Amino acid sequence: MKEILRITIALTLSCLIAATVMGLAFVVTAKAKKHNEHLYMQETMLGLLGYSKARPAPSDLRFYGVYRYVIADGDRRFLGYMVPVKRGGEQNYALVVMDLKGRFVETMDLSISPEAAGDAPEREKALRVALGPPKAVTYGDTTIIAKRGERRLAYLLPGAFPGFKTFISIMLALDPSFKVLGLEIMEHEEDPGLGAEIEEEYFKHQFKGKTFERIKTIDVVRKPLPEQYKKYLERSTSQEGAFTEEEIEEIKRTYEDKDIYAITGATISSKSVSDGVRNMTKRFSYRMESLDRVIASQGVEVLF
Amino acid sequence: MAARTKTNKELFFSGILNENPIFRLALSMCPAVGISTTVMNGLLLGIAVLFVQVFSSCTIALIKDYIHPRIRIPTYTLTIATWVTVIDLVLAAYVPVAYKAMGIFVKLIVAFAIITMRLEMFASKNSVTASFWDGLGMGLGFMFAMMTLGFVRELLGMGTVLGYDVLGFRPLLFFVLPSAGFFVVGLMMAMFNYIEIVYNRRKKVKR
Amino acid sequence: MKERMRHLTLTGLLLAAILVSVGCDTGHRFVKKTEFKDGETIVITFAGPVDEAWAKEKANYAVYEEPDPDILLPIKEISLSPDRTKVTLSFDDGLNTRQAHVLKTKEMLSEGRSQGTAILTVKKLYFGLLLSIFIGAMVVNNFVFTKYLGLCVFFGTSQRKATAVGMGITFTIVIVFAAMMAWALYQFVLKPFQLTFLNIVVFIGLVSLSVQAVDTILRKVNPALFKAFGVYLVLVIANCIAIAVPLILADNEYTGPESFMLALGAGLGFLVALFLMSSARERLELANVPPSFRGLPIAFIVAGLFALAFLGFSGMSIH
Repeated sequence: MKEILRITIALTLSCLIAATVMGLAFVVTAKAKKHNEHLYMQETMLGLLGYSKARPAPSDLRFYGVYRYVIADGDRRFLGYMVPVKRGGEQNYALVVMDLKGRFVETMDLSISPEAAGDAPEREKALRVALGPPKAVTYGDTTIIAKRGERRLAYLLPGAFPGFKTFISIMLALDPSFKVLGLEIMEHEEDPGLGAEIEEEYFKHQFKGKTFERIKTIDVVRKPLPEQYKKYLERSTSQEGAFTEEEIEEIKRTYEDKDIYAITGATISSKSVSDGVRNMTKRFSYRMESLDRVIASQGVEVLF
Repeated sequence: MAARTKTNKELFFSGILNENPIFRLALSMCPAVGISTTVMNGLLLGIAVLFVQVFSSCTIALIKDYIHPRIRIPTYTLTIATWVTVIDLVLAAYVPVAYKAMGIFVKLIVAFAIITMRLEMFASKNSVTASFWDGLGMGLGFMFAMMTLGFVRELLGMGTVLGYDVLGFRPLLFFVLPSAGFFVVGLMMAMFNYIEIVYNRRKKVKR
Repeated sequence: MKERMRHLTLTGLLLAAILVSVGCDTGHRFVKKTEFKDGETIVITFAGPVDEAWAKEKANYAVYEEPDPDILLPIKEISLSPDRTKVTLSFDDGLNTRQAHVLKTKEMLSEGRSQGTAILTVKKLYFGLLLSIFIGAMVVNNFVFTKYLGLCVFFGTSQRKATAVGMGITFTIVIVFAAMMAWALYQFVLKPFQLTFLNIVVFIGLVSLSVQAVDTILRKVNPALFKAFGVYLVLVIANCIAIAVPLILADNEYTGPESFMLALGAGLGFLVALFLMSSARERLELANVPPSFRGLPIAFIVAGLFALAFLGFSGMSIH
């Protein structure tokens, strides 16, 4: 009997010590993890806008996060946009509620700081306080609006959609007219050498510059990528002879209305990305336009 | 026991060569096959295993007198699991992109028989310093094996080493595909066997 | 033994019947069934004939993907079956059938009488999802040949068919047990209390516990079976798959039935892999293998060939 007691005590003690060690490690690394994630996002966003170490971002560049939620009130559904506003001289957040057809319902003040707004649990807490039960919220998506001074520079949309294997997660950059500025592949589980080629410039950069009208009907075509177009797409990192300004313009004009050339051996992955980009752009443009309409008509003092 | 009279240096080198976990002892082969696709992967997983091996060996050597014999194995498992969790959290926080490439394999270190075996056979019977060198040798042996595999597969598969384009083209994409892992490990094992056979033959002739 | 087989088959059939029937009922007395077809259309089956004028009017239907209630999908065309009980809605862009859709209808008219409005969910049969997880774990993402886990034990016990099968069956039993406990602990203890960093420790503890439990149960219930399989139980703990399965189901947030299917598929996949490998290795022993390749090296090469063959399943999906 004493044996079993001793064994149990020893085991419990070891478990507790182990749990404390792990708990400590968790707490210490959790902060570093968030910080690194934030840095990675910043880097990707700046990269998409064309800024890098060689071309640093201007000092008047600001990012504003707009978060979309679906509010359920019994059987009825509403759209709620958390928008950054100016209140009392400093940056704060407000919730703009619309019905499913885009008609204004109400605005509510939220008490959440811009830093905390980047954290999903914090946002949901603030929403719960403002809406109160029995209303429930479901997260929709995030839009980051890049602004320089008074003018909107770009919309940055993180999004995910099914790929050949599991999910592909991307960040899409659109200019204010919803033309594609660029595309970055954030996460995927595709096969190396095949689906993983979506990370390569010769695929990603094909989306650059496609106008809104073209993107609405974009599809993939199973033809080999022309050599000249490939060189053009990879020109920022290749060491080969640079193109002249005229050559660049000419190639751009030839290919800007064409469909996306699929990656050899990875048609499904290519189609997933192209369908994903198409759907994201269509839905975002529809929603952004209705949000802008409501904000303008209601005179909400948004920061973007 | 012969182990006790080995010097620290011998312990260290035996872990890398004679008793190399992957090529000689044929243990912990899952990651060898699964993610030895690049040198970087091999390096990172090697570091993770090294960390777990060294810390676990030292911990067990420290508390070996307090472990009740009947709960030896659970204690080893608990120690290993704790250190695996720690290195898992650390890697996820500080090198997230590379961590994702390794997927589930960092967490799986907890199931490596080699580490438990090492603790049972060595760390529970020896001093902290001796355990440290033994663990270090074993861990480095693993890292060396993984990096060699990674080097072969990355070079032949993608033409790069550590991401730097060396060949300028891709010889055989096949090598990066996971199934090639089996082939490469099998061939390297055969090579080690061959070296051993020739070495023994030479020894016999000398005699 | 025969009695037991009959019981098992009956229970299996009953389970299957329940699962299948759950997918058929829409809960509305007039709408019998809604389903996706060909990835581009939605077919609605009514309990009685609908008025043609009502059925063909696009404005009577509203279809959207569940998480996006503000984006209505434009209907391209509507066709009605000759007996007027089936309506097929086809869409321009093709449907993302992996996502549940919601279909709202205005007042339905059948033979002039109103049948009320309906809010219906259109989604793939849950059973299909379960089956796809099962086939996925067993074949498409076979844990040995596609995920490269459990290799130590794999190479150790694949020399004889008898050992291989024994190991496979024992492993399947333990993994199903452990996976269900892991799911329960994860959903009800680890997640709510934010203790997910303890995942690894808890799961390996559960695997050891399951091995102990199966060991004790088998000893008491069927000593003969224990004599045959007992020796493999210890090896289960060293099997990477045993801890990979709980980690995967926690990562993907699988529900109970999904976890069960994952564990079953993983175990059976391991059994299949072992069986194939042992059949090959028994033959290899009689073959003329060069000395440096004998034993493990040639076994690895054979495993590589199997892995290459299993690559053919990549991307296969029945859902």
